[in-house]
Amino acid sequence: MKLSEEGTFDASALSLGAIPEGTSILLTGDDTDAIETVFYHLVAAGENERSLILATETNGRTVNRELDRIEYGISNRSTVLSCRGATDSNITTVDDIADLAGVGMQFSALVAESGTMAASQRAGILLCSSICQEVDDIQSVFRFLNANFLSHLRRDGIMGVCAVDTSAEIGGKIDGLVETMAEAFSAHISVESADSEEVTLHLDGDEVESKSVTLTLSD
Amino acid sequence: MTQYSILCVGSETDIDEMRGAIEQRDTLNPVVRTSVDGAIEAIETKSVDCVVTEYDLPDGTGGAIIEAIRDQSPNTPCVLYTSLSPAQIDTNSFDSVGVEYFNREMPDAHDRLGFVVEDIITHNAHAGFLLPDDEKSRLEALAEYDVDSLPIDESFERLTGLIASHFDAAVAFIGLIDRTTEDIIACTGSDWDMLAREDSICTHSMLQDDVMVVEDITADARFRNNDTLHQLGIVSYAGANMTTAAGNTIGQVCVIDHEPRSYSKVEQEDLQEFADLAMELLELRHTIDDGTTTETPT
Repeated sequence: MKLSEEGTFDASALSLGAIPEGTSILLTGDDTDAIETVFYHLVAAGENERSLILATETNGRTVNRELDRIEYGISNRSTVLSCRGATDSNITTVDDIADLAGVGMQFSALVAESGTMAASQRAGILLCSSICQEVDDIQSVFRFLNANFLSHLRRDGIMGVCAVDTSAEIGGKIDGLVETMAEAFSAHISVESADSEEVTLHLDGDEVESKSVTLTLSD
Repeated sequence: MTQYSILCVGSETDIDEMRGAIEQRDTLNPVVRTSVDGAIEAIETKSVDCVVTEYDLPDGTGGAIIEAIRDQSPNTPCVLYTSLSPAQIDTNSFDSVGVEYFNREMPDAHDRLGFVVEDIITHNAHAGFLLPDDEKSRLEALAEYDVDSLPIDESFERLTGLIASHFDAAVAFIGLIDRTTEDIIACTGSDWDMLAREDSICTHSMLQDDVMVVEDITADARFRNNDTLHQLGIVSYAGANMTTAAGNTIGQVCVIDHEPRSYSKVEQEDLQEFADLAMELLELRHTIDDGTTTETPT
C-alpha cells in the first residue's frame, strides 16, 4: 500500500486515486465475491493508518487473511468486529447482529480505541445487506448508519465503506433501499462484473470525480 | 448562538468531571443530577436537548433514564459516558432510541465529550432515518421561511385540490420536512397534519433529485413493515421535491393512492411542475411578508 497524501486515502490499487478523508462510500453490486474483493482493497489500511471492519457473514480470521492477501501484514493494522467465529487479539465478536444498539456501542468503542493507534482510519461494513436481512425493521439499520457509522466518519475524518449485496433477499425490492442509502453517502461505487475476474467500477458522488474503471482483480 | 440544555447524570464522585467537560462548549448548558430519580424528575419538568449519563448509578442504571427520556421525548439523543465496556451494558431498552457509547476512560474523553454532544444535536445525528448531506443548511433554509407566520395554507389547499383532481388520486398533500417531523401544510383527501419523519416516505423521496415513485409499499423493503403507512391506507406514492433557489430541499408535493399504481414519465414531470409551483408560491408569500414586515413602523 502506498503512503497517502495528508488528508486523503490512497485507492490507487482500484485506479480510484486519492479519496478525501471523511468520505463515505456506498459499495453495491450483485456479485458478492467482486464486492468483497473491492471492499477489502478500499478498507485495507495504508502505512500509518488503521482500519476497522464490521464483518456480518465472515469470521474475523477470514477477514485478516483477505487483508493480508492484498499485502502481508495489513491485518496487523486492522481491527475486526465480527458476528461469527472466535475472538482474537484484533478480533471482537458480537452475539447478535440484529442487536444494532449493542453492535453500535462495540463499534464506537473500537473506533475510539483504533483512533489512539493511528491518526488516519478506514472503516467498513461487510455486508450491510446481511444486517437488513436480520432485522425486523429496516429503520433500525438507517438509525445505526446515521447515529453510528456515518457520524463517526464525519467526526473523525474516517474514510468509510458500506457494502450492499443487491442480490440479497430482503423481503422487498432492494433498488429503492440502495437509492435512499446512496444519497446519504458522499460517494457511490457500483460494481459490475463482466466475468469471474474483470469488474467495472462506476464511481459517482458530490465530493469525488465521477468515473468508470475496468479492472482485473485476482484477489 | 443557540443554547442547548444537557442533562448530565453521574455519581457524586464523578459528576463534576462530566459537568466540566460539557461546560467547555459555549453552546451547552449542563443540568446536573446524581441519581436516576433526580434525572427522571428533571426529564419530566425541564426541556432537555440531550442526555449524558453514566451507566452505573447509585439507585439504578442509565438504562432507566434512557427509557424515561424515550417516553417523554423519543428523539432526544442520549450518550452513555461510562467506563464500562459495551459488553457490560444491557442494551435491551435501547432499541428505539439513539444511544451513543462513549468510553470515559479514553485519554481524550474529557476534551471530546462536549464536541460529540454538540455534533449529535446539530447534525440530528441520532435520527432514525438517513439524512441529506445538506441537512444543517436545509433546516436553516426552512426556518428562514417561518411558514407558521405566512398566510399560505389556503393557497396550498387549493393547489392540493388541483393536484388530487389532476392525478385522480385519493390524497394529495404538501409537506415541509423539519428536523424530526413532516408538517403537512395542506392536504386534500385526508386530514393528516403531521408525520414522524422516520415514518414518512418523503424522508426517502427528498434524498432523490427526481420524482420518487413507490408503486406498492408492500413490495418495497423500506416501507413494507411501516405500520404507520399501513394504518393511513397508503399503498402507492409519488413525491416531488420543493427545492429552494440555493438547492435545499425543504418539502415535498405528493400524491397517494389506496391501491398499487404507477406514474408515467409525463405524470412525474407534471408532479414536479406542481412542486415547483408550490415553491414559487412559498417564495412569493415570503417575499411579500418580508416587505410588509420591513415597512411596518416599530
